[in-house]
Formats: sequence, structure tokens, C-alpha cells
Amino acid sequence: MRNGFGISMNKSEETISISNNNGENLLVLLEEEQRKSGYLSQEFITALAQSLDTPVSEIYGVISFYSFLSNKLQGRNIIRICKNLPCFLKNSELIIKCITQELGIKPGQTTPDGRFTLVLTNCIGACDKAPAMMINNDIYGDLTPQKITKILESYK
Amino acid sequence: MPEKHIVLRNCGVINPEDLTSYTARGGFQALKKALSIGPEQIIKEIKESGLRGRGGAGFPCGLKWEFTRNTKEQSKYLICNADEGEVGTFKDHFILENDPFSLIEGIAIASYAIGVKKSYIYLRGEYHNLSGRLQNAINQAKENKFLTHVNIEIREGAGAYVCGEESALMDSIEGKRGEARFKPPFPTDKGLWQKPTVINNVETLMNIPQIILNGAAWFNQIGTERSKGTKVFSVSGDVACPGVYELILGSSLKELLINISQSDNIKVVQIGGATGRLVPGTAIDTPLSFESVLGAGSITVFNETRNIMDIVYHTMEFLAEESCGKCTPCREGTEVMKLIIDKFRCGNGTQHDMQLLTELSSAMSLASLCGLGQAAPNVITDSMQYFRDVYESLIPANLRGVKA
Amino acid sequence: MADITVTINGNQITGHAGITILELAKENSIDIPTLCYCPDLPPMGACRLCVVEVAGSKALVGSCHTPISQGMVIQTHSPKVMATRKIIIELLLASHSGFCTVCDKSNICELRKLAMDMDIGLSRFQSKKRYFPIEDISPYITRDLSKCVLCRRCLQICNEVAKKRVFGIGYRGFNSKVIVDLDQPIDKEVCRDCGLCITSCPTGALSNPAQIGEEKKGTPLVIRG
Ligand SMILES: Cc1cc2nc3c(=O)[nH]c(=O)nc-3n(C[C@H](O)[C@H](O)[C@H](O)COP(=O)(O)O)c2cc1C
Ligand code: SF4
Ligand code: FES
Ligand code: FES
Repeated sequence: MRNGFGISMNKSEETISISNNNGENLLVLLEEEQRKSGYLSQEFITALAQSLDTPVSEIYGVISFYSFLSNKLQGRNIIRICKNLPCFLKNSELIIKCITQELGIKPGQTTPDGRFTLVLTNCIGACDKAPAMMINNDIYGDLTPQKITKILESYK
Repeated sequence: MPEKHIVLRNCGVINPEDLTSYTARGGFQALKKALSIGPEQIIKEIKESGLRGRGGAGFPCGLKWEFTRNTKEQSKYLICNADEGEVGTFKDHFILENDPFSLIEGIAIASYAIGVKKSYIYLRGEYHNLSGRLQNAINQAKENKFLTHVNIEIREGAGAYVCGEESALMDSIEGKRGEARFKPPFPTDKGLWQKPTVINNVETLMNIPQIILNGAAWFNQIGTERSKGTKVFSVSGDVACPGVYELILGSSLKELLINISQSDNIKVVQIGGATGRLVPGTAIDTPLSFESVLGAGSITVFNETRNIMDIVYHTMEFLAEESCGKCTPCREGTEVMKLIIDKFRCGNGTQHDMQLLTELSSAMSLASLCGLGQAAPNVITDSMQYFRDVYESLIPANLRGVKA
Repeated sequence: MADITVTINGNQITGHAGITILELAKENSIDIPTLCYCPDLPPMGACRLCVVEVAGSKALVGSCHTPISQGMVIQTHSPKVMATRKIIIELLLASHSGFCTVCDKSNICELRKLAMDMDIGLSRFQSKKRYFPIEDISPYITRDLSKCVLCRRCLQICNEVAKKRVFGIGYRGFNSKVIVDLDQPIDKEVCRDCGLCITSCPTGALSNPAQIGEEKKGTPLVIRG
């Protein structure tokens, strides 16, 4: 039967996923490495391509699809400021301005000392506490310019 | 109609880290009952209860289960959709944080009824901090022998809204890019790994234990003709008390926004997030139900000081960014719409642009592959319907009335 | 297999169970335009050009991937369908930054043919243009992704027929792109000279490396509008 494309045919029960014979799953492996190393190095991608018998292009296709995965070296801490409407209504632009000034970088950039990477993101599910942001996995809500400095200080 | 807690009955009452506090409130009694009455009877109860999916589409839950149960395939899957990417939605976060056990019980009952041995919880990457609590709930349930018939695994997303769409979600669990698939075949027929699959929202599954315990007749008398039970709403924006509220279906917007979350000077309300509908402040008596408007239950309020074009532009920007890019109408259309709205925002619209928006909206909703592209024009069509004067005021005076 | 009878444009037509609306239409010389469809390969349903109206369905239905079922009532060229297809082509033209006059494949370009069939001159939409550098380091293939319409046929042919899996899809939304390795220019390491993808490409995005003095293929197409 017809079943989409770009799929590797393994003999395991879960036939058409991108996974190796140990049932390891491409996305799961990428997420683990991203958490561990902060980014996905070229060596890692090449090795993974071999062990999963999957072309590099397909793996990079997955990496570039998901906004949490990156093959570029990133800061030790990643700040994700929400830019969607509920936060926008609560003046998230002021927070963005405040953090860009504090760190001296624009969204998409990393501080020269590698301490922070700043990105703008879509709703993080804290709209009742808007404006909100995430640093690594922690969510901060009801942000004010006064709170920012203190929060940033706690990340080294 | 008043607030009523069915889904949220344990939230804030039990200790979400401790199973005994859940069983003390009658936890896992429903599972026990379910195991004694058998799969057919469970599905019959769910069908009779009139429970419809809470993730946005509102598909009758019992039917979905029945389709999948009745397929000849041996391996089937159940997926709990905890991707919650819709702008302005945070109810599932609240539920998972406060009462993970009810969800586990719901999954256990559903798995037994459908005949599933493996279930997944697809948790969005942004909620990584909840996965520990959820895993703990699974472990405790397992230790207490509640999960002997099913294996529950948590899978995490990695920041892609479209992965909330069921076919994209399945591709994501398979480890691929989260791109939508064409339908048919439907997931109940060929879903995850091409096996029959049921996908249910967190809130849908939260209702299951209570329905099994109290019976279909009890659930059926709550709500309206075609919308049974309660709905959990996430209220945000220009309101005094933003937060999560559970109301009986069919309650009016007024009840929720004026009486409960205390907002005033409402210009417009966005119901159902970026793919949802706009309701002008004048239509405050609109009931919240599947017959009327509902979506995933996110309610964002905008007061009189807000600019309509900001609302439309931000929504389109979100959709353009989150489009998976597989199908032409959505990939190209969201970008074009964003650019046209930006023109209006700068006061450079034309009559011709309004015509183009109308035609484009219709093509996108007719031809897009998945719900994202099909619903993307909602914000444009609704804003053009209710705030046509705003659009017209953004056409330079010398071009007004000029036809294309 | 049992036969199934459906109504297409008012006529009762019978076909084998399991075939798609598009296949049945083809058998009966009804012309439905397609872009991402590759005959005999699994459908992708990506371009949405092949949509048709099926009674009872609110949205239009992709004919290349929807199997026929008993009693289906199908309109392949209703006004609604035609208007939608036209918009899809206009959208593709809006972001297409190829210059037809200097394109080697302009006379055999499917996008231009489709536009001509639908009486489209210039697109009414304005969009961002896709601009990418031309990749001409491979002796076997020249890629100009500015002309790519993301039909994914090269990917499908390479995966399913050539079995080389050279291409992938990278990024998402408007930024989607057919990529090679870590989004690198295509070179001879990754690709043999089978040339299947070049013949499958509907536009000038994939072509044989230019030979000096070579003539343009095909009879000249007229650009309208
Ligand atoms: C673009 C898009 C995003 C969606 N996001 C979610 C989501 O975050 N959570 C969810 O439960 N359903 C989401 N859905 C709906 C699902 O596709 C599906 O209908 C739902 O999970 C089915 O569960 P239910 O029947 O319990 O509602 C989304 C749909 C679309 C089209
Ligand atoms: S509608 Fe948008 S999100 Fe859905 S398949 Fe098409 S491009 Fe992807
Ligand atoms: S909109 Fe910012 S967290 Fe939801
Ligand atoms: S030909 Fe059917 S969607 Fe492209």
C-alpha cells in the first residue's frame, strides 16, 4: 500500500520509521544529544547517518524542521522569549528590548562569552502569566524589566 | 450556566506526585469498573455519553475507538496528544501539572477498550519539565499493578506547532519531519507505523474515568444537544483574571469573560487560537459549544485599545512560521497573506488586495492538505467580515473606491 | 478485484477498486493537471494542483491520492476547482524567481505550460522571491533552486527509482528547500550520473550542465499577460 515517502524499510515490527534495529528513533536520539551537548555536531550527524543507515540529508531535514534542534554551536543557556499575541498584549516587546540591551545581542545571536543564546519563540503555554519566556527548560512568567536582571544572573 | 469541575476535579486537591492521594479520591476505581464491564460496554458508554474530542476537531470519541477496535490488525496504538501548541492554550499544561493520574487512568481505560498494548503521550518540547512528573505517575501506577495491560511511553516534541496535527504528530513519533499526510487513509485505519491508531487530546482522556464511574446518562444530561459535558478554557489577554476555567458546554462567552475573568471594553475575542475564530465584543452572548465556536478552548481577549491589524498580522506571522511547508497553498499562501496584511498595517492597502485576500482565503481553505492551512484564513475572513471599515480606512484616500 | 462505478462530470464511469480518482480520469481521457504526481510511484499529495470536487466533502479532494469509492460524484473542472488551481499556480509563480527568457528549459517548463493552460499571465500575488546561488560544481547536474517549485519529484525519483536517496527536504514553511547533505551544493560525491531527477524536474531547477552552443529544447512557448 502507499505510505508516504522518504522512509527506510527496516525489518522490525515498526517497519517504516527512521530507526535502527535497536528500535532507537532518530528524533529521540537527536533530542538526547541536543540536551547533552547543546548542539548537533557534524561528526554526530555523520555517525548517526551510518548507524541508522539514513542519508545525512534526511537527518538534516529533521534537524532543520524542529526549532529546538540545531547543528550550530549555541550558548550554554538558551533564552526563548514568547512573541505571540497574548504575550504581545502584555508588552513582550519591552521585555525583548530589555534583554537585548542587557545582553548586547539581537534575537538569533549568542553572547561572545557563550553564556546566552537569545531566540524568539512561539507560545510556550504560559499565556496566563504573560509576558513569558523560557530559559533552558524553565518557564518564567509575569516578567518585568526589574525581574530580568535577577533571573539572568542565576544562569552562569 | 455555572462552572463545573469534571476534568479539573482533582486539580489542586491531590498531591500530583503521590498516587495514594489520588486513590483516596476514588482514583483507579473507574479502571477497576472498566475491566469488569469489558471493552464493548466501555465503548458503548463512551458513545452514549456523547463525548467529543477536546483537541479542536470535536470528533465523537466513542466512534473513533470503535473503528480502531474493530479493525483486524493485531497491533494498534493510542496516542495522547499533549502537544498543545495553539497560541493562548495552556489548559493541558495545567492538567498535567496538577493531576497526571487521571490522565494515566484515562489512557489505561482507553487502551483496554480499544485493545491497545502500547500507548504514547506526545508531550511538546516546551513542557519538558513536566515529563518527570508524568513519568513518575506512570511508574507509580505500574508499581500498583494498574498498567498490566498497556505500556505507556512519553515522547517529546522539539518545537513545532504543526506536530499537534494528528498525522504530523505520527510522523514525528516515527522520528521524521512532522509533515501532514493526506487522508484517507485515516489514522483509525492506517496511523502510526501504518497501524490503526487513536489520537485523543489530554482533556478528552481526562473525561473517561468520570464517565465510566458515573455512567453515560449522567454525562449526557450536562451541556447542550450536541455538546455534552464541560470544557476547560484557557483565558488570556486583556482580562483581570487570566487562567484556566472549566465551564459546562453551552455557557456564554459573557459568563466566562465578564462574570468569571472580569474583563471589560472588549473589542474582539479570538477563540481557538491562531487557527480559531474572531468574535466581536458585541456578540458577547455567543454560546461556547461545538455548535457555535470552541476550538481547543483558548480564549484571548482584546480590548478597545487594540489594533485589529496587529492581531491579524501576528496570527499570520505565527502560521507562516509554523506551516510545515509540504503543500503549496499553505506554504506560499501564508507568506503572501502576511505580506498583504503588512501592507494594510502600514496604511498601504488597496481594494485589489482585499479581493486577493478573499480569493486566496477560499483557495487555501479548500485545497490545503491539513487543518493548519485550511484554518489559516479564518482570522482574515473573520476580520474582514467584522472590521471591514478598518481595512478600508487603511487604503490611501486617493485609492479608495478604485476597483482592481 | 471488484469494479466500482463513479460519476465524473455527470458521466458514469467504471474502474477497478483501489485506483485513484486521477488514474480513473486518465483512463477516460479526462485531463486533471498535476505537479507533484509521478506515475507509478506512491503519491505525495503535496502540490494540491490535482484537487477535484467530491460531493459530500466540504474541502476539495486530492485526486492523485484518493481512491475511488462506490457512488462518488466528482467534478474535475467546476468553477470552484478551476479558481483554486489558478490560485495555486499564481502562488507558485509569485515566489518563482526564474527568468524564463534566459532559462534553458523554458520551452519545456511544466509550470509555464500549466500557467498557459489556465490563462495566467503574470501572478497577481506578490511574495518573497526565492533566490539561491546556482550549483554547478557537479559534472552531472546543475541545480538552480531559485526555480524550484518544491514538487519533490526529484526526491521521489531518487528515493524510489534510483535508490540513491541523495535529496532531502530541509527547513519548514516558506523556507522549505530540497537539500543535499547538510544543505550543501550538490557535487559528484553524492550523485551518480543517472540523470533521472533532471528529467523528472518540471522546471529549470535541475538541468544538465550547459553545453556551449546547445539549442533550447522544445518549441517556443508564448508568454501571456
Ligand atoms: C495545526 C493543528 C494543530 C493541532 N494541535 C493540537 C494540539 O496541540 N493538541 C491537540 O490535542 N490537538 C491538536 N490538533 C487536533 C488534532 O489533529 C486532533 O484532532 C486531536 O488531537 C484529536 O483528539 P480529540 O479527538 O481528543 O480532540 C491540532 C490540529 C491541527 C490541524
Ligand atoms: S496545510 Fe500547511 S501545515 Fe498542513 S500540510 Fe499543508 S503546508 Fe503543511
Ligand atoms: S502567548 Fe506567550 S506564552 Fe502563550
Ligand atoms: S498532483 Fe496531487 S497533490 Fe500534487
